[in-house]
Amino acid sequence: MQTLLSERRDDRGLLTGGASVMFHNFRYIVWLFVLNLILGWFGIMAFAGQAHGTLDQSLYADRLVHGFDLAVLFELLARPEARPLASSTEGALCLIVVFFLATAVFLPGVFQGYASTYRLPRDEFFRACGKSLWRFIRLLLVAGLVMGIVAGLLFAAHGGLVKKAGDSTNELLPFEVKIAMLAIIFLVMTAFRIAFDLAETDVVLNDQNAVRKSIASGFRHMWRGLGRLLVMYVVITIVAAIVLVAGLWAWVSLVPAENLLRAFLVSQLTLLLLLIPRFWQRGVAVVYWQQRMLVPVVAVEPLMPEPVSPPAVVEPLPSPVIPAVPPTPDC
Amino acid sequence: MSQRVVHYEIDAKYDATKQTIDATEVLTYHNLTGQALDHFPFHLYLNGFQPKATWVREAKLIGNRDTSYAKWEDKEHGAEEIKSFEVVGQGDLTKDLQFIQPDDGNKDDKTVVDVRVPKAIPPGAYVQFKIVFHDQLPETQARTGWKRDFVLGGQWFPKVGVWWQGAWNCHQFHATTEFFADFGVYDVKLTLPQNEIVGASGVKVGEVNNPDNTKTLTYHGDDIHDFAWTASPRYKVKDDGVFQGQMGPVKLRIMMQPGHWKQVDRHERITIQTMEQFEKRYGPYPYKTLTVVDPEPDSAAGGMEYPTFITGDSSWFMPQGFHLPEVVVEHEFGHQYWYGMIATNEFEDAWMDEGINSYSELKVLDSIFGPDTSVINLGGMTLGEPGFQRLSYISAASLDGMSQKAYEYYSFGSYGAITYGKTASVLLTLEGIIGKDTMDRAMHAYFMKYRFSHPTKEDFLKTIEETAGKDLRWYFNQAVYGTQVLDYEVMRIDSFPVNWYEEQKGMGKKDDKDAVYKSTVWVHRKEDFIMPVELEIHFANGERIREHWDGQARWTKFSYERKGKIESAEIDPDHKIYIDRDNFNNSRMAESNGKPARKLAHYWLFVTQWMGQALAWWGV
Repeated sequence: MQTLLSERRDDRGLLTGGASVMFHNFRYIVWLFVLNLILGWFGIMAFAGQAHGTLDQSLYADRLVHGFDLAVLFELLARPEARPLASSTEGALCLIVVFFLATAVFLPGVFQGYASTYRLPRDEFFRACGKSLWRFIRLLLVAGLVMGIVAGLLFAAHGGLVKKAGDSTNELLPFEVKIAMLAIIFLVMTAFRIAFDLAETDVVLNDQNAVRKSIASGFRHMWRGLGRLLVMYVVITIVAAIVLVAGLWAWVSLVPAENLLRAFLVSQLTLLLLLIPRFWQRGVAVVYWQQRMLVPVVAVEPLMPEPVSPPAVVEPLPSPVIPAVPPTPDC
Repeated sequence: MSQRVVHYEIDAKYDATKQTIDATEVLTYHNLTGQALDHFPFHLYLNGFQPKATWVREAKLIGNRDTSYAKWEDKEHGAEEIKSFEVVGQGDLTKDLQFIQPDDGNKDDKTVVDVRVPKAIPPGAYVQFKIVFHDQLPETQARTGWKRDFVLGGQWFPKVGVWWQGAWNCHQFHATTEFFADFGVYDVKLTLPQNEIVGASGVKVGEVNNPDNTKTLTYHGDDIHDFAWTASPRYKVKDDGVFQGQMGPVKLRIMMQPGHWKQVDRHERITIQTMEQFEKRYGPYPYKTLTVVDPEPDSAAGGMEYPTFITGDSSWFMPQGFHLPEVVVEHEFGHQYWYGMIATNEFEDAWMDEGINSYSELKVLDSIFGPDTSVINLGGMTLGEPGFQRLSYISAASLDGMSQKAYEYYSFGSYGAITYGKTASVLLTLEGIIGKDTMDRAMHAYFMKYRFSHPTKEDFLKTIEETAGKDLRWYFNQAVYGTQVLDYEVMRIDSFPVNWYEEQKGMGKKDDKDAVYKSTVWVHRKEDFIMPVELEIHFANGERIREHWDGQARWTKFSYERKGKIESAEIDPDHKIYIDRDNFNNSRMAESNGKPARKLAHYWLFVTQWMGQALAWWGV
């Protein structure tokens, strides 16, 4: 039985171990960040085209550069020409989904890389991706269904409670109920996320074709280590929230309104840093899997083959002697 | 002061558990119409909150500020029932009451009741009506009713119509309309539970605790044309504030929600600043009290004006840079002038109270917070009143006109955009035409001349023309009476060297500073509003030229031969026109500047990327 002290040490080990595998494989985060940037870039092209068409030759648009005049922005959006904005929004939404799918496709390789003791070659990375593709699709469907239903029920309860709280004469109560319910929803959904993270890890690292077994195993272990894992996931999420708030603060407070390059760098750095926490969580899942879910190999007595008599030694034939001088062709 | 036509004496008892009022009303009416009156129409506004009433039908059809009526709920039901109606000296006429529907013929609408008196009331005579009535207040709608343990008693008693322009003016209650009433004296007794904290129009002149755990408060108001009150056991009140006005001290009573108490100073400060500005700009505030109510959160009671009584609008979270409480309190106080004293017909000329008041709001708030930051100044984002009002206007620029009846608008959104936003933008543009000082003088003259009366559109417009000494019909016909839309654009600019052919032959030097260019600017009137405009052209050599175009033709061009190409051309370079639907096309630069678009695209990029990450965070 583990002592409390050793559990805490384990927790630290999980957090630092997760961080370690994540940082050792930082290139995956960079790849996904680049993918995120490129897809985002495609996603905004229609919007950017429209904005350039209206703003590029107008002196009025300059009010958007020095400060941020909301009247100018709203006027831009209110123009009849801006109505197709909806279609450019749809384009961006499509690319958001593409990024999500791409993450799902590459994740098996990431798990493989995290579990690997050496730098995973590219071919092995993509082999892992390909091998687990169909398994991940099934996993995603199950996760989407389960988490969707749970989230739907929780949000329905949230709506009902907030509405009920609205009858109170305490104006803050609906807000407090909302925050409390969102916190509960967050914790419950994080628990489900942990279970499915463990299942994903198991599918890849255990080479498990029966996805249902990995899911069952993920939930079993999530339940067993719920307190520890949940605390770790929540801590990491808080780190993400701090990164986001700090990034936005730096953007708003430290970057002059007209300095687009610096704003771009700050915003992209924030987004890059925002990718880290989620991969840290996945690193934790991999380390946890290695520590607790890895099925131990049972030592088996090797079968001793019957001694056999060595085959008769056959004297090798002498190699044909190759003439140093090529034979002269027959005339 | 006012010509007192009515004297209401009301004794009302409010049942806080049932949200009902039982009351007796004695109305003394002074016939100053110059002719005998044989019938009297009365407003019963609370009957508007019934499923078949015109108010609810219109709200379902064209929208409404507070309630969508996707489904009917009993708590939304409001009613105003006359139990008995007696004309002193002529007997009980309860059975002779007749609901009439002068606007739309909707027989299910019971918001106007008419009574024909057996003996006509001669000119100059008085007639007294004794009315017993019962109200069922709805859960707050259109700034009246209850919410939780809060109540706002607005439009809660039978109110006689106004004899105006030779006829009774007593419209049904519509989803987009407000009110119209005669000036007079109000003496109101309110009986309600002792734990209620009460605020009301007028001056409190008495308070008595009754043995049945109720109390009776007595209010008196002179030269007002409505009476409203509010009660809640939870108000926190600051009533030690005094505004030293031109006609003596005005006692301020700020009634706050307990959760908003930290904003009490914001409310009091903006009230006093606004009162100072209004007295300076328009004329004295003549009343002795002003009650500012921060109403129940999430109620449809915020942002309303009654004589000497206004409701603001706030929330427990209200950053300093978000000036919503200031905007609402300022606006509603403004109605003490544009509605309270300049008592225009809100059914027919909504722009004359809401719009003129929005123009005043713009002037007052801009002077307090600055023109670019008077609404929002938060985290680098700014929004000023001129931009805010103009945005409202251009959201529905071509649908309706300012001068149409308030209940004939295409939608509730259009009503708001035109009566508030367009009027403010039209008057601000007018300021550019006749000059700021002249406009200020005109507004002052209008207020001083027409206070305590019911002026018409023409009274207002003629006051401006007289003060400006100009015929402004060309402007009023389009902006006030018409639905014309204004949109001028710099369609094209072009510059090429006069000796362009030499360059082609290799004789001329490229980018020769001494080269003379043939430059042309084309300006275009895209819409049907015709207005003279200024045009400013900037040349690369630093030269600036101002042109004046009468704006009559569909387009025109201005050509020059100068050392230096055109860098940019701008219509309305002093930014005096606020009714131009599209400000982006008012200028054109020779060299494009992609920075604004890149900045917006960058914001959008961040949001897109972050959303992708968030989806991937939870989804996989």
